[in-house]
This record gives sequence, structure tokens and C-alpha cells, in this order.
Amino acid sequence: MPEGDIAAVAQGAGNNSSDFVRKLYKMLEDPAYSEVVRWGNEGDSFVVLENEKFTKTILPKHFKHSNFASFVRQLNKYDFHKVRHNEENGQSPYGASAWEFKHPEFRADRKDNLDNIRRKAPAPRKAQAAEEQFGVSNQQVLVLSETLAATQQQVQQLQESYHEIVNANKIFVDEILHLQKLVRAQNQVHNELINHLNKAEQERKDARNPGHSAGYTSNTSNLLSDGSESPLELRRARDILNSLQVDHVADRDLNRMSVQLHQVGGSPESAGSSGMMGPPGVGGVNPFLHDPLNDMRHLVYPVGQTVGIDPFAAEHINNLPYNRPVQENAMGPGHEFNGPSMHSQTPPGAASQNGSPWGSKKPVVLLVEDDRTCSRIGSKFLAQYDCGVEIARDGLEAVNKVNAKQHYYDLIFMDIIMPQLDGVSATAMIREVQPNTPIIAMTSNINQQDLETYFHWGMRDVLAKPFTKEGMIGKLRKHLANFLRNPPQESMMDSMYPNGAQGQPPTPGPYSNQGMGMAPLSAASSGAVGKFDTTPIQSPATSASWHSPGQMPHASPTMAQDQGYLGAGSGSQMVLTPGGTQKPQYANTMIPQMGVPPPQRIPDGMQRSDGPPEKRQRLYAPQGNYNQ
Amino acid sequence: MAANDQNDDGHDTGNLPDLGDAIDILTFSQILEMDDSEDDREFSKSIVFGFFEQAEETFEKMDTALEARNLDELYRLGHFLKGSSATLGLTKVKDSCEKIQRYGKKENLDGSPEKDEALCLSRITETLKTVKAEYADVEQTLKNFFNST
Repeated sequence: MPEGDIAAVAQGAGNNSSDFVRKLYKMLEDPAYSEVVRWGNEGDSFVVLENEKFTKTILPKHFKHSNFASFVRQLNKYDFHKVRHNEENGQSPYGASAWEFKHPEFRADRKDNLDNIRRKAPAPRKAQAAEEQFGVSNQQVLVLSETLAATQQQVQQLQESYHEIVNANKIFVDEILHLQKLVRAQNQVHNELINHLNKAEQERKDARNPGHSAGYTSNTSNLLSDGSESPLELRRARDILNSLQVDHVADRDLNRMSVQLHQVGGSPESAGSSGMMGPPGVGGVNPFLHDPLNDMRHLVYPVGQTVGIDPFAAEHINNLPYNRPVQENAMGPGHEFNGPSMHSQTPPGAASQNGSPWGSKKPVVLLVEDDRTCSRIGSKFLAQYDCGVEIARDGLEAVNKVNAKQHYYDLIFMDIIMPQLDGVSATAMIREVQPNTPIIAMTSNINQQDLETYFHWGMRDVLAKPFTKEGMIGKLRKHLANFLRNPPQESMMDSMYPNGAQGQPPTPGPYSNQGMGMAPLSAASSGAVGKFDTTPIQSPATSASWHSPGQMPHASPTMAQDQGYLGAGSGSQMVLTPGGTQKPQYANTMIPQMGVPPPQRIPDGMQRSDGPPEKRQRLYAPQGNYNQ
Repeated sequence: MAANDQNDDGHDTGNLPDLGDAIDILTFSQILEMDDSEDDREFSKSIVFGFFEQAEETFEKMDTALEARNLDELYRLGHFLKGSSATLGLTKVKDSCEKIQRYGKKENLDGSPEKDEALCLSRITETLKTVKAEYADVEQTLKNFFNST
């Protein structure tokens, strides 16, 4: 038990009186102190008359300290009480500064009674102390419980954020894996292609020596120059492979996803209603994260730990403006697409020459076509029109050729559906290094959607398949007008056409404002803008599509956002499933703007001289327009 | 049957060889015009015979794909042969290839979706028979045409 009792027992030794009480009594017996401390007038109390003297001279003598407060505490322990005089009995008889203490058993005439004065029981004393402490901490409890509530809310917020992040991470990982798969597949494709090219080069070299026929010479001569360049091409191809900026794209993809995920996860309706693309000033951009946080800040004043969430939200808000461009980049087949920066044509060659439609420089045309028959006929047409011609058998070969000989090709005819790499993806890639070269899609799939895709990804025009000589040459003259010796001579052109009477003049002039090009082009570009505006609204759906990243054809999550990007959304899509890129409505939605019956879809539409040439003449994109 | 006209063909659209309704003569004549000499028809002949190889290869692949019930591949092959046959003006073959392409894409001829894969496959089976016969027909016509040159 408390030390006091032990001390009392040790010192008491026979009597129960306390050392302190005895000392106190002994001190009062000394008359020398009567000026300072003495018995009260009644003898039932004692009075400290001069506090200061008592503390300085008497206390040290009798109690070995000089602390009056200690002395009073000690008195209290023995249940002495200070006598208060200011209530009914008026002024103290001993002076205002006197301290009078009293204990019922402590009397001047009852020295024998000292033993009855004992320390108060320790338990009550302790309980009292505890009571005092409670009194103090009641306020603290309030504060603490407030803090606790705030903290709990904070924890809940953190948990929600955490779950969002976990979800996001899961999606990220899926997406990364998916992208890696894509990249691996593409790498494989590339390698296959390089190998194939190697073989093809070998074969061409072999084939060149036996010497084919006269009809083949133009091809052969082109292949010759091609062959001599091939190691360079292949090297470049490998360089491209090595420099694939996969991580870059993936990172930004993921970044964008995280933003949208939070928008979606946060509160769909707020994501839908607030202008995400507005200035990043943000007030209502993400109420879910934001307003509760503000509340939290008030709640958590004792702790003040909103740190870690606030910057978090701000970060995402800052990301918003960068979101869309990233998206666009991510859609390209591994690289950025700078279509909008297209400029006008290659510089003119103005000198005159006889015997050729061209001026001082003959154009070199790259014909990208996987079908031997088509490519041979096409290259023959072109060669007869005095063009240099080279052939690529698929999109990748085309990309490699263009990379190997930048600014070498003046115009590219590009098939769309090809093995390895489709024409749209190839175009997008070529646009990176050759923003200006006219690229003309050759396709029989002409519907609005496809055309928008083609134009969006940098094609300038469309040549309907099966192409005809006049159709092809019309495109040449239109897009290589600067190469022509006499650009506006329609009469000469007409004479070039066996079916001249029926064929449309190939010059762009009369049709440049009414043709196909305009409509799909503007549709495509406005589509792009519209898309940026509306994407946040669609984001729930978009993110939903990310949850199923398993299907290769829907490689890029961006695919789901705008059908206009369909074809080019991912290069691999067309490669893997050519059919997947086509719209079901294929035949029914034939180009309303064309104002021409779609020859390919009409069973007897094979009258080349009627249908296709006319259509072809209308199928171009005004070049100036694209520059905007 | 067209062989007797071949000496008159040329740049004049009024004097094109008659190769029957399976071949669009305007288209085909464009190929013929590419020949440097109408006597040996070096270019057009190599194109046409090249196409024969290509078509036969494609038919084989189509048979294989049909066995494997691979509609995607059939779609692709149909598209492929459609392109070259159309370029030569082989109208019937081209039309049939287009049908195969469409069926392979799980569509009806009018472009509406057809979910029944078995139906698509059986349609392709039928169309493949047809296109082979049509091809054999034009092959004979063209061989006659070039061999008699």
C-alpha cells in the first residue's frame, strides 16, 4: 500500500501518531515563534501569522524544507482545514494575511489526542486526484472524439481512393500487358516482314538476271534500283523496330486512363455534367474528390492530414488538358501522327520537255498493293505515263521503303486491306516522316465511315478499285500538278483516254468543291473536335470497354470512343482481322454525298467508263482543306 | 469464241474482241492496251497467266479455309481475288468473290448481318462451286484468246 502507511508504521512504533503532527505540535509549543505561528485564541486551531517568516525560518527548522505550499498540502493530508473568515464571521482575528488551520482533534490542551490525527486514507485521496484529472480531460475527450470522427472519415475517404487506385492499377496492368502483347505481335510481324523482304530481294535479284520480257522492263528497272537500296531499307526497318517507343505510349495511355477512371469512379453524373475540357480551374470538375476534401479539411483541424489526397486530386485535374492529345497519339500505330501539319505539294519542276506529260522531273510513285495482278497492272499504267514506279507488297514494306528513301516518292497509291500492315496504319506511319507526300487510298470499300478514317489518317484521296488507267492518271495529274509540263491542259488528257468521251476530265478544278473529299474530311475533323468535347460524357462507357481489354481487335481503348477512328485505331486490327474493321452497313450507307451511284455495289457496275471514273473524279480531298 | 476478233482489237473501243459476258471488255482492253506489241501481247498475257496462278492458289486456300470453317480467312480470300478479277474485268468471278467476301464477313448479300455461320459456310460452299466454274470458263476463253495470238 501507499508509502505513507509504511512510513507511519515504521516511525509510529508503538503509538499511531504521525511524525508530522508531533512536529507540528512541538513547533507550536515554542513561545519564541508566537509572533509568527501560534495556537489560536481558542486553542483549537493554529495560526500562521507571518507567512514569509514562517516559510523562511521555522519550516526549515522543523520540517526541513521551506515550501509553504508543501506544508499546506501536508496539513491537508492530515485533514487539517484552512479556516475561512470572509463569509459569516467576518475578518480574521489574526489579520488578513494570516492562515488559520484547524483539525477537530488538534488542540493545544490535548497533546494526548495527537494519535487520533492521521493521514487520510489513500484510496479516497487517489480517487479525488483521478476526479480532478477527469475534469481536465473532458474537454480533451471532446476534441479527441471530434478528431477521431474526422480521422475515421478521412480513413474512409482514403479507403475509397485506395479502391479506386487498386481498380485503376488493375486496369493499368491489364492494359500494359495487352500493349506488350501487341508490341510483341507487331515486332514479330516486323521481323517476319524483314525476313520476307530479304527473301523477296533475293528473288528479285535472281529474277532480274534471267531477264524477263519487254513488258516487264519498267518494273524490273525500278526493282533494280530498289534492290540496290534494300540493305539500307532493312537496316532502317530494324532501326524502327528498335526505336519503338512502346513505353512512352503506354505510359500516356495509362495516365489518361487513370484520369478517366477517377472521373468515372468518382461520380458519373458529375463527370457527365461538368465541363471537363474547360479551363483547368476546376471548381466542379470532380466534386466527389473535391468537396468532401474541403469538408475534411475543416473536420480534421486537430490533425490536418489532407495531404496526400489534395495533391492527388490536383494532379489529375492538371492532367485533363493533356488528356486528349495523348489519346490521339496513343491511337497511332506506335507513333505520333502529325497529319494536321501537312503542307502543300512538292516544289514544281517547270522546265519543258517533249514526249512526256511531266516537266523537268518525272514523279516517282510508290504503289502499295498486295495483289500481284493489281500491282502489275497499276505499275504498268504508271510506267506508261512516264512515272517512276516502285511496288510495295504491304503496308510495312511501304513504310520501310519510305523510311529508306525519304522524299524520294512523290506520290503513293495505297491499298487498304493488306497483310502485315494495313494501308491506313501505314499511311499514319508514313505521315510522320512524309507529311506532304500525297497518299491515295485504293479501295473498293467506299463508305462514309471508311473515307473519314482514310482522310483522318492522312490520305489525300481515294482511287476506287478496280482502278482504271484514267482513274489512276487522273489522280496523278491532280496531285502532282506541279510536275506537269502543262498543268491545265485538259484536251491533252482527254486524248490519253480511250474512253475519253465518257471519262471525266481528271483535272481537279471543276470538282474541287463538291466532291467527296470535302464532306468526309470536314466530318472527320469536326468529329475529332466533337470527340474531345464529348469524351468525358462517354467516359463510363469508355472505361467499361477497358475492362475487357482481352480482344486484340479492340487493341486500343480509344477505339471505343469514336468510330471515326475505327480503321486506324490500331494497326494490328486490320492486320489481324481485316473484316473487323468494316462496318456492317457497308452497302447501305454508300456515301450519300457522292451523288453518284456506287459502282462497286451495283451488280453490273463494272462499266468502268461510266461509274468509277466519274466517282473517282469526285473522290478527292481538296488539299488546302486538309492543311487547316 | 473471241479468238477471231483478236486481230482487230486495239485502241478503238468499237473493235474490241468479244470475250463474252463474263469479261468486261472495257476493263480488259485497258490491259491489252498496255501491250507494246499486239503480236505477242507480252504484258497482258503475263498478267492474265499470273492471275490464273493466283486464282488457282486462292481457290485452294478457299477450300482449306472452308474445311476449317474459317470465315475470316474466306472473307480475306474473297476480297483478295475480287480485287484482281475486277482489275482484269472478270465480272462474274469478281461478283462471286464479292459474295464470298460478304458471306465470310457473316453478311447477307444486301449487307445485313447474318449470324448463322453454318448458313454462311454453306452459301460459300455453293458460291465457291459457282466461281470455280465461272473461272474455268473465263480461263478457257482467255487461254484461247492468248494462244491464238
